[in-house]
Amino acid sequence: MNSIYDSRILNLVIFSPLLVAGLLAFLPRNEKGQIRALTLGGMVLNLLTCLWAYSRFSPTSPVEFQLEYRLAWVDDLGLSYHVGVDGISMGLVLLTGVLGPLVVLSSWTFVDERVKEFHLALLVLQTAMLGAVCAVDTLLFFVFFEAMLVPMYLLIGVWGSEERQMAAMKFFLYTMVGSVLMLVALLAVYFLAAPAGMRSFDYSTLYNGLMSANRELAQYLKANPAGDGAGLSAAALALLRYGPYLFLAFALAFAIKVPMFPVHTWLPDAHVQAPVAGSIVLAGVMLKMGTYGFWRFAIPLFPVASRQFQLLLAALAVVGIVYGAFMCLAQRDIKKLIAYSSVSHLGYCMLGMLAFTAEGATGSAYQMLNHGVSTSALFLLFGFLYERRHARLMSDYGGIAKVMPVFSAFFLIVTFSSVAVPGTNGFVGEFLVLLGSYKSNLPLWLSVAATTAVVLGAAYMLWMVQKVFFGQVTHQENLGLKDLGPREVVAALPFVLLIAVMGLKPQPLLDVIDHSTQRFVARAKYAAGEGPVDDSKVRVVVRPLPKDAVAQVAPTLPPAVPAHPTPIPLPMRPVRLQPAQPQLQPATP
Amino acid sequence: MEKLQLFFQTSPVDPTAAGQALWLIIALPLLGALVTGVFGKIIGRQNTHLVAVGAVGGSFLLSLLVFWAINDFRSAAGSPFGPIAYAVGADFGTWFSAGAFKVTFGLTADHLSGSMLLVITGVGFLIHLYSTGYMSHDAGYWRFFSYLNLFIAAMLTLVLADSLPLLFVGWEGVGLCSYLLIGFWYDDAQKAFAGRKAFITNRIGDFGFLIAAFLTVLVVESIVQLPVTSLSRAGADGAMVASRYAQGVNAKGALSMPVLEETARILPNLLTQDIATGPLTGVGYGTALTIILVLFLLGAAGKSAQIPLYVWLPDAMAGPTPVSALIHAATMVTSGVYLFCRLSYLVVLSPTAMAVIALIGASTALVAALIAFTQTGIKKVLAYSTVSQLGFMFLGIGVGAFWAAFLHVVTHAFFKACLFLGAGSVMHGNGDEEDITRLGGVRKEMPVTWATFLIATLAITGIVPLSGFFSKDAILHAAHVNGIAGFEWAGHAAYWLGVVTAAGTSFYMMRLYFLTFEGPRAKDAKVPHAHESSPVMTGPLVVLAVLSVVALVHGLPIMHVQRGGVTATQALMENFLDPVFRTTHDLVAQKQFLVLPKEEHGLLGAYVQAWLIAVVAGALAYWVYRRYLPVVKKLPAALEPLRKLSFNKFYVDELYTALLVRPLTFVARAAHRLVDAVLIDGVMVRGTAWVTKQTGAVLRYLQTGDAQMYAAVMAVALAGGLVWALLRVMP
Repeated sequence: MNSIYDSRILNLVIFSPLLVAGLLAFLPRNEKGQIRALTLGGMVLNLLTCLWAYSRFSPTSPVEFQLEYRLAWVDDLGLSYHVGVDGISMGLVLLTGVLGPLVVLSSWTFVDERVKEFHLALLVLQTAMLGAVCAVDTLLFFVFFEAMLVPMYLLIGVWGSEERQMAAMKFFLYTMVGSVLMLVALLAVYFLAAPAGMRSFDYSTLYNGLMSANRELAQYLKANPAGDGAGLSAAALALLRYGPYLFLAFALAFAIKVPMFPVHTWLPDAHVQAPVAGSIVLAGVMLKMGTYGFWRFAIPLFPVASRQFQLLLAALAVVGIVYGAFMCLAQRDIKKLIAYSSVSHLGYCMLGMLAFTAEGATGSAYQMLNHGVSTSALFLLFGFLYERRHARLMSDYGGIAKVMPVFSAFFLIVTFSSVAVPGTNGFVGEFLVLLGSYKSNLPLWLSVAATTAVVLGAAYMLWMVQKVFFGQVTHQENLGLKDLGPREVVAALPFVLLIAVMGLKPQPLLDVIDHSTQRFVARAKYAAGEGPVDDSKVRVVVRPLPKDAVAQVAPTLPPAVPAHPTPIPLPMRPVRLQPAQPQLQPATP
Repeated sequence: MEKLQLFFQTSPVDPTAAGQALWLIIALPLLGALVTGVFGKIIGRQNTHLVAVGAVGGSFLLSLLVFWAINDFRSAAGSPFGPIAYAVGADFGTWFSAGAFKVTFGLTADHLSGSMLLVITGVGFLIHLYSTGYMSHDAGYWRFFSYLNLFIAAMLTLVLADSLPLLFVGWEGVGLCSYLLIGFWYDDAQKAFAGRKAFITNRIGDFGFLIAAFLTVLVVESIVQLPVTSLSRAGADGAMVASRYAQGVNAKGALSMPVLEETARILPNLLTQDIATGPLTGVGYGTALTIILVLFLLGAAGKSAQIPLYVWLPDAMAGPTPVSALIHAATMVTSGVYLFCRLSYLVVLSPTAMAVIALIGASTALVAALIAFTQTGIKKVLAYSTVSQLGFMFLGIGVGAFWAAFLHVVTHAFFKACLFLGAGSVMHGNGDEEDITRLGGVRKEMPVTWATFLIATLAITGIVPLSGFFSKDAILHAAHVNGIAGFEWAGHAAYWLGVVTAAGTSFYMMRLYFLTFEGPRAKDAKVPHAHESSPVMTGPLVVLAVLSVVALVHGLPIMHVQRGGVTATQALMENFLDPVFRTTHDLVAQKQFLVLPKEEHGLLGAYVQAWLIAVVAGALAYWVYRRYLPVVKKLPAALEPLRKLSFNKFYVDELYTALLVRPLTFVARAAHRLVDAVLIDGVMVRGTAWVTKQTGAVLRYLQTGDAQMYAAVMAVALAGGLVWALLRVMP
């Protein structure tokens, strides 16, 4: 199993697009064909590396982060270049890898100005997205997370439609607000999780450092729900006081990215104005950064706070599901409708996650992949139509099925996937999310309200399909539309295949996600006083820094408690509150 | 006789092998759909016909073999709770699993699903054959046959599935094909809308179905958590029941049919208890079961066009006529009845649910019949009569006559398919004329269509001895004699509604027949002379007409069984389905929620009564439409408002539009304008920008560029800080 290459694959996965971008920089800007071909080749290469990583990934291995690679970077800060994949990031890596070549194909003729810059932006974006899902170091994650913004801002702002400037600005500012808050919270966690000298931005350090404090706090709150924290250890006390705020900062940053109601209004504008490639990447991968952030950071790091806000967030998720569906019914612009359907579908992802049940979490993770496939496909296909007609309103179309039968067949299949007809991928995710929600501690009416989207989803999608595809051709211009060409069929076919395969044979992918969901649920429940009390089930174990590194950051498996050399004064305010002997003593189970 | 029995009970193929080959029955039409859909245009019309008809024909032959294998005395499908007699099946691996939940690709064919198999593939084959003639001028033939094959595959999945999620695949799949086929001529916006209406109405039902399924999971998982002692029942030790149950849930999933059946066997002792674990804590098992069944009823009402979701079916007649015959009469719309036959063991545990089902069924039957009185479209009348007959089937389910309801599914499939195809033949020969007031006198010009249509009409009206009489009579008989514990009034009400509807059925069907086939040709007819359809179309009509007569065999009380020392007489179908409903019968005997009659009533009286009802109502129709109206030309003024009410379908569509569609659309538009544009983007987003801008504008005045001013501020601040520090240090 272990091969010398294993630890290097992820570097290839992340940086192969950047490498191609470097090559691309040497091509003359007028050689549009070569630029497109090189980018396509680069993306295919990237997909191959992703598949290689997948082939080396073991779903049954007890190791959480596989294919790990770690390199000291800024030792003084405890920052290391640390990448690895667990189940959910493996899924997202695959999704990103698959979308890459299709994005290039989708814009083959669509973008004809500044072709070189466009493809450079795509490649850089690919690297940033893959980096963000593979990063195990939180600061590294943050760097990649922010690095995604710039190319996407350019994609919308330069190659977008009429009001691209406004949309790009709105997108950028919205996201920045969240990012800044997250950075602050991240720094606070950094100081809170480990004593001076042991600090690190590594996920393992942050999680393991907060783990015992979280549990102590949870047990304390279980005994006295309204307690002021007397008798708690310093770290637990700090979590009691500041945990909710830190959680909210993380949550807001990721909620904007998801986007959850009511911070979703950037999405319709961004989608409408973005070029087809931008829409695909945005819907396919970038929105998942929000849900992924909740999954990886916000909820595991603050299980107690996330319990406190569970109902609120789940209610917002359900509002998003229903409200997004209602918004779709009010749209006349097709891209806006698809964008609002994203709000609705990602509400499902959030609901499944916030149910804190195995079924819900699995469904949520699977729904992330589904949405990446289905909604990207919708944007891709609509992009083909838009390229022909340059019109976005439903009233500009009608009777398209007669003129473009192949296109219509593709669009209809993807529509049914989006409506979650059983047999397509959408059903598996939606079913598991709803089942998880019914099985959870959330109120039943909330789950019932979420189920109404089963009806609403069909209502708005089929309404749109009827307006665009059925009836008589009402516009003269539409009569001469050409059906899909070979390149376009090649770009659309993988989506249809994925829809069928993921709908009928979901188990291989679910197996990949399985250990991840088990850990997620255990971590969410662990500190809330439910679930396993066995530390080893939730503790994050990563490989230590290479031997010449200064700090031994991550504890290895056998000692269940991080070994502290001497009593260490706590750096944060709690020092003042408990001057006696503040010690990071984890409560014994 | 003995030898004949032995012949039918010895399958030529090994039953186990038949079980493992079940997937082929589904795969064949699925492959056909793929080939005709993708390559249909390339391979041409004749080859497309060959592939499509061949796929269904092959499926029919396989179904026959499977049916034979089910009858084999050696056959028994494996289940976690031991082998099931008279069933074959196999598990084809996991579909998906997460946490404690699991769904497998398990297929089972027993007498119930086996009969459905034959109906679906048999009638399906005939209708495919008919369509090759009916659609011979349509350019979209490849699409049509692809959808039709896909439909057959989905419907077969529905009946073969041995778990609710897999059944749901077929359930939604048939809805999807129905959507595609209703809107087959999509360039007519009206037809495309009808398709959409059908799908969305079905989805409202699915909303109920899904919630019911999720609640069922919660109930099953709470039973797994129960202490062993509360699970013991007659003949089974609690510990054994518990361990087998847990194993079954693990192996097949909480929503698989064997687990649900075992749940039904466990539930009787729990009905008065409260659920102790999980989200349903505090709800009684009985209450939960009733809620689940009512939600399933909502799902079934969507698919099988019952109140309040029947409105889509009449509009669905926009599709090509073979589609109406296959999907909207013979097969898809009966899937709700099939579902409840499958779940019969749960139904008999909740008298409330039974009463609700019986009343919904009976009122649907009556309302649809009333609307059918005045409709003028030949297919519209048949559509409402379908709704009405489906109501009869639900009435049968509600009063616990599952076998009778299912017999009606089978006979109805024959005669209603025959009627629809006959109507299609009439339209085909009359320049696509649908309005029965502009037809008439077709009898002489289309003799085969006429004869088959007449036979099917007599069958549906319940004339002795055609098949429709036996199935309908069995349902009404059960409604008359079976009592739903605590809800006897509901049974009586359902019975009388049913009797009135039976008379109504005879009236509107004979009206349809007389207006179309008898009398002189209407003056405003589209074509002066109708022409008989080609043999490829009339062939299936003859076969179906023969079947609607021959199917009467199922209803003959010829089987004698020993029960508790008494020899009872059973109808053939009842006896045939006995293995399927064994658990159900046990539960009825145990809980007595369904009070069965002590002694057999004489059947002769019922026969005469039914015959009288049908003949009198039919004669009345003859008098009104062939004697009275042709002379006076006009209805009495007193009846006119009633006619209008019925003709406009009691304005239910308008009511739904006003109460549901309009308000929801309004809310959506208003929310979009108000919440998204004004509240979030206007107040919150732009508000933040505005505050920032204003703050900046104010602060700008501080940045004067005056170095002296800056120095002064700095000095004051430093001094202030110093003072604060001193105050802190001093005690």
